[in-house]
Amino acid sequence: MALSRLAVAAFIAGVLYAQIAHGQPVTVEVAQSGGYSTEEIAAVATQGRVFGELTPARVRFNVEAAWGKRSGKGSDAFGAAYPYEGPVEVIEAYGERTFLPGRALFGVKAGRYRTPFGISSGSDHAYMGFLRAPLIRYNGYFALSNSFLEHGVDVIAGTPHLSLEASAGVPADVGEIERRPGLGTVVRGQGAWGPVILGVSRIHTRPYQNPRFARGRTVFTGMDFRWMQNGVQARGEWITGRPFNNTSTTGGYVDLLVHRPVMGPVTAVLRAERLHYDAAPPFAMRADRYTAGTRIRLLNELATQVAIVHQSPQIPQRRATALDLGLTYSIRR
Amino acid sequence: MRWLVFTVGALLSGASNPAMIGTFDVAGTVHAGGKPKQDAVVWLEPATGQPAPPVAKKSVVLDQRTSTFYPHVLAVQVGTTVDLPNNDRVFHNVFSFHDGKKFDLGLYPVGAVRRVTFDHRGLSRVFCNIHPNMAAYVLAVESPYFSVSDSQGRFTIASVPPGSYTYHAWRAGAPNVTGSVVLEAGKPLEITWP
Repeated sequence: MALSRLAVAAFIAGVLYAQIAHGQPVTVEVAQSGGYSTEEIAAVATQGRVFGELTPARVRFNVEAAWGKRSGKGSDAFGAAYPYEGPVEVIEAYGERTFLPGRALFGVKAGRYRTPFGISSGSDHAYMGFLRAPLIRYNGYFALSNSFLEHGVDVIAGTPHLSLEASAGVPADVGEIERRPGLGTVVRGQGAWGPVILGVSRIHTRPYQNPRFARGRTVFTGMDFRWMQNGVQARGEWITGRPFNNTSTTGGYVDLLVHRPVMGPVTAVLRAERLHYDAAPPFAMRADRYTAGTRIRLLNELATQVAIVHQSPQIPQRRATALDLGLTYSIRR
Repeated sequence: MRWLVFTVGALLSGASNPAMIGTFDVAGTVHAGGKPKQDAVVWLEPATGQPAPPVAKKSVVLDQRTSTFYPHVLAVQVGTTVDLPNNDRVFHNVFSFHDGKKFDLGLYPVGAVRRVTFDHRGLSRVFCNIHPNMAAYVLAVESPYFSVSDSQGRFTIASVPPGSYTYHAWRAGAPNVTGSVVLEAGKPLEITWP
């Protein structure tokens, strides 16, 4: 990991030097977040992102690192964007080149990036008003995780409206769980028609659970959708598959995000979600969770997120109903 | 000989084409708290109150790449149509609800371009519905004489006729600065916030 950070630091230094040498802009974002949940968890985190375009190769680069600290465990609050424990973690560090020959689309991405299964970007699961990752994307729930990362190559081909994406890489996860080493693949197809985007994904990877009982491969198939019009967005994912041999996990979530002109700086969010993990008793888990929340842009750089969560007792938790509150101050240079 | 005098005069005035004879470029700097400030918009309105010349036909772009808007601050003359291309692999949904020009461009993919005409003056705060970290400002002004300061706080307003002007300056999170100035070639315009 130290070698990885060193490599990324060298990469950033090289990028900054190259950008300065070519007079091209490099954008740096820094966000400072703090939060408290009535599940008696407080959290603080700093996230930095450096991105831009190298000329004349026209390779885009994106480097994201984060540090977080949580006051305790026993709750999955504040898990939406990156882990809130441990030292500074490099979340993403990749270069990307996209070609648009005629009406076609072709792109290549290489480096360290979020596993491109379903709705997977950091923006999609944080900063929107949700302070928790979906159940199907949280560490330890026998499904996927928002802190899954790949060291690999990702290729996309097709048209802007209909594309196929394939990623091959080895796990480079951050946080509490780490998949075992070994080559993994993700294939994703995506189509867009007017205000609707539909996607289908399939992942083959290695389990993160203990190899004494978790044998075989992790295999999931998922469907995702997004619809957006006039400031109203509906989106969701549904996955089914196995975290390892002789088990299965099925679940998904539906989000509604509303940001109409009359709402000013307020975005309202609703989420309903379900997760079924079928395994030999007593390990099986059937969980539901409902979230109502809001994101309010208080000032240009300052936003707050408030969410009320009601969850079934199978989820590790301290309270069935909890209030999560987050505050983020971000600057860009 | 008249042709020679005409040409030399035009060159000395700093004009780049015959339509701008007699004009010059106004250079200056923007400071706040003693430091140069980037992304401040400075514009000039003739003190005589004469109507602004029509909008010049040129391509103005508010790009979306690496899930950010570029530039972060864009100044345009009222009536200008701005291209908003998506140059990211992901979809974007650009909108502006709060003030200025209100629009919602819907979802659109890489390679697609949406256009917005800023047909009345004011500040539009532009966001993406999918990526809340994306934010930009578009300031539409009546005057054709405007510029945005660079990272050293420098700006240049091109092709300004000499005369008396009211200058205005805007930057995010600060009150507007307004004042009067008589502009002539070589005279810098200094904008200062306390």
